Amino acid sequence: MNHKEALDREEVIDFVMSCWDEDAGAFGAHPDHDAHIHSTLSAIQILIMQDALDRLDVPRVVDFILSLQQESGVFSGDSFGEIDTRFLYCAVNALSLLGQLDKLDVEKTVGYIRKCRNFDGGFGACIGAESHAAMVWVCTAALAILDRLDEIDHETLGWWLAERQLPSGGLNGRPEKLEDVCYSHWVLSSLSILNKLTWIDAEKVTAFILSAQDLEHGGIADRPGDQPDVFHTQFGVAGLSLLGYPGLNDLDPVYCMPASLIERMGLKKGWQALPRRTN
Amino acid sequence: MVEALEAKKLKEHAKLKEYLALTDEVIVKKNGRDWSRDAFDLTTRVLHVNPEFYTVWNYRRHILVHGIFPTRSVLCTPPEINEILTTDLSLTTAHLKQHPKVYWIWNHRRWCLENVPVGPTEDDPDGWRRANWNKELFVVERMLDADARNFHAWNYRRYVLASTPVQRAEQAELTYTTRKIEANFSNFSAWHQRSKVLTSLWDSGKLDIKKSKEDEYELVKNAMYTDPGDQSVWIYHRWLVEPGNDYEILRREITSIQELLDEQPDSKWCMESLVFYHRLQLRNHSSRLTDTDKQGIVQRCLQLLNDLQAVDSPRRQRYIDLSTEVQKLA
Repeated sequence: MNHKEALDREEVIDFVMSCWDEDAGAFGAHPDHDAHIHSTLSAIQILIMQDALDRLDVPRVVDFILSLQQESGVFSGDSFGEIDTRFLYCAVNALSLLGQLDKLDVEKTVGYIRKCRNFDGGFGACIGAESHAAMVWVCTAALAILDRLDEIDHETLGWWLAERQLPSGGLNGRPEKLEDVCYSHWVLSSLSILNKLTWIDAEKVTAFILSAQDLEHGGIADRPGDQPDVFHTQFGVAGLSLLGYPGLNDLDPVYCMPASLIERMGLKKGWQALPRRTN
Repeated sequence: MVEALEAKKLKEHAKLKEYLALTDEVIVKKNGRDWSRDAFDLTTRVLHVNPEFYTVWNYRRHILVHGIFPTRSVLCTPPEINEILTTDLSLTTAHLKQHPKVYWIWNHRRWCLENVPVGPTEDDPDGWRRANWNKELFVVERMLDADARNFHAWNYRRYVLASTPVQRAEQAELTYTTRKIEANFSNFSAWHQRSKVLTSLWDSGKLDIKKSKEDEYELVKNAMYTDPGDQSVWIYHRWLVEPGNDYEILRREITSIQELLDEQPDSKWCMESLVFYHRLQLRNHSSRLTDTDKQGIVQRCLQLLNDLQAVDSPRRQRYIDLSTEVQKLA
C-alpha cells in the first residue's frame, strides 16, 4: 500500500531477530517460541523487504530447512514431523530467496507435488488429500519457482479455480463451500501464475473484498459484517493488487512479496496480473 | 449499560492477565528444561486456554519423552505410558470439539498414536494399538458428523485408515462415502474420497472396474437430476468419464446430459460438461467421425459456449478462450 514507513525499520528487524531460536538455528513465531519453517520463511521475507539480510545466519537457516525434507520429498514444519505441501512451499520459497536452490533435490520435491495432484487439476495438503485453494497456490507457486509449471494441467486447474467464484462475487476454497476473503489471495495468485486471471469476474471479486472492509476502524474481514483481522486484510489487499486496483503496489503472486523487489533480485517468473487501473 | 460493558471489559482484562502470567510461567519452565509432572500439568492448563500455542505442544511432548516416559529414575511402565497417551487422546478430543480446525491438535493426536507402546502382552502385542486406533476412527467420524467437509478430519481419517494395525477392508470405506454422499450430494470431500478408494479397489482387482463404473454412473445420474447446479457431482462425473477412451459410454453420457439440458435449458453445468465431452469425442475418436460429424460437433460446442457466456457471465472470458480451442479441432 506504499506505506512501508508506517512500521519502524529497526523495531521490525529487532523483533524478527528476537524470534531466533538458537537451538534450532531458525525462527519461531514469537520470542521464546520454537523454530518452525513457516515463521522462518516470514522472517526471511521481512528481512529482505527491510534490506537487512546481512543479519541472517544463512548457512544455519539453510541447514535447518534442508534437514526438514523427508524421504518422500515433502517437508515437515519442524522436528516433530507434521508434513504438508505448505511447508514444502516455505522451503522452496526461502531457499530461492536466499539463492540456495542448488542445494535442493528438485526432482524429489517436484515428485511429491506430482503425487498430490488430483483429477480436478488441483492439489491437497498431502498425498490423497482433497484439492484446496490454499494448497493449490503453494504447489503452483513452488512449481513456478522451480520452473516446473509443465507439471500442471493448466486448462483443468484453470477451470477448477474459475469455478471458485460464487454469485456474491467472492471466492471459495473448495466446491460447494462458502466464500471468504482469504481465498482472494490463494485463488487469484494461482490464476495469475497460470495467466488466467481473466477467467473470473474481476469487478465482482473486487466489490466483494471491498464490502468486507470495516469502514470505521479499517481492515478487512473474512466476509461482510465480520470482525477484521490482519490475515484477511493482507489476503484482501493482495487480491486487490493482482486485480489492478488503483493506487496499490504490484504484488508478486509467486513469492507473495513486492513485485519490484523480486524483479530486482532476478527471480521474477512469467505470471500476469491485471493492468493497474488509474481510477 | 455502560457499567455492564465496563464490567465485561474488566473481566476480560483479568482473564488476559491470568493467561499472560500462565504463558510466562510455562516459558520459564521450558527454557529451564523442566520436565517434571508439574510442568506437564501446566502445559495442560495453557493448552486448554490456547490450543494454537504450538511451542507448548512441543514442550509437552518433550516432557513426556525426556521426563515422564524414561525408565531410568521413576519407572514408567508400558501400561502407564499407554495410560498417559490414552488420556492425552481424550483430552485432545475435548479440544477438537471446540477447535475442529487447529492443525496442532490433530498433529498431537498423531504423535500420541504413533507412540502407543507394544502390548499389553507378548501374545497380544497390538492390543493397545488396536484399541486406540479403533477409538480414533470413532472420534474422526464424530468430527465428520459435526462438519462433513472438515479437511483436517478427512486427512486424519486417511492417515488412521492407512496406519491402523489391523487393516480394514476397503469396501467399508466405500460404504462410508456412500453414506456421506447420500446424506448430502454436495459433499465433494466424500466424492473425492470415493474416487481414491475406487481407484485402489479397481487397481487391486477387488472390484470389477466395468461393473463398478456402471454403478457409479447410476449414482451420479441420480445426483445430477436431484440438483443439476451442484458442481461436486459434475466434477466427479468428469473423473468417471476421463480419459474418455470408451466411445459408447462417452456417447451415452452425452445423450443423457443432453436430455437433462432439454429439461433444464439454463443448466450451466449441462452445457459446460457437454462441451468438455464433445471435445473428448473430437480429440480421442476422430477416426470414427466423418467430416460432417466433426463440423456438426464443433458448431454445437460453439453454440453452447456462446450460450454459456450469457448464462455464466463471470466466466465469460474462459468460454471465449475455449471457443478458440474448439475451432482448432475442426
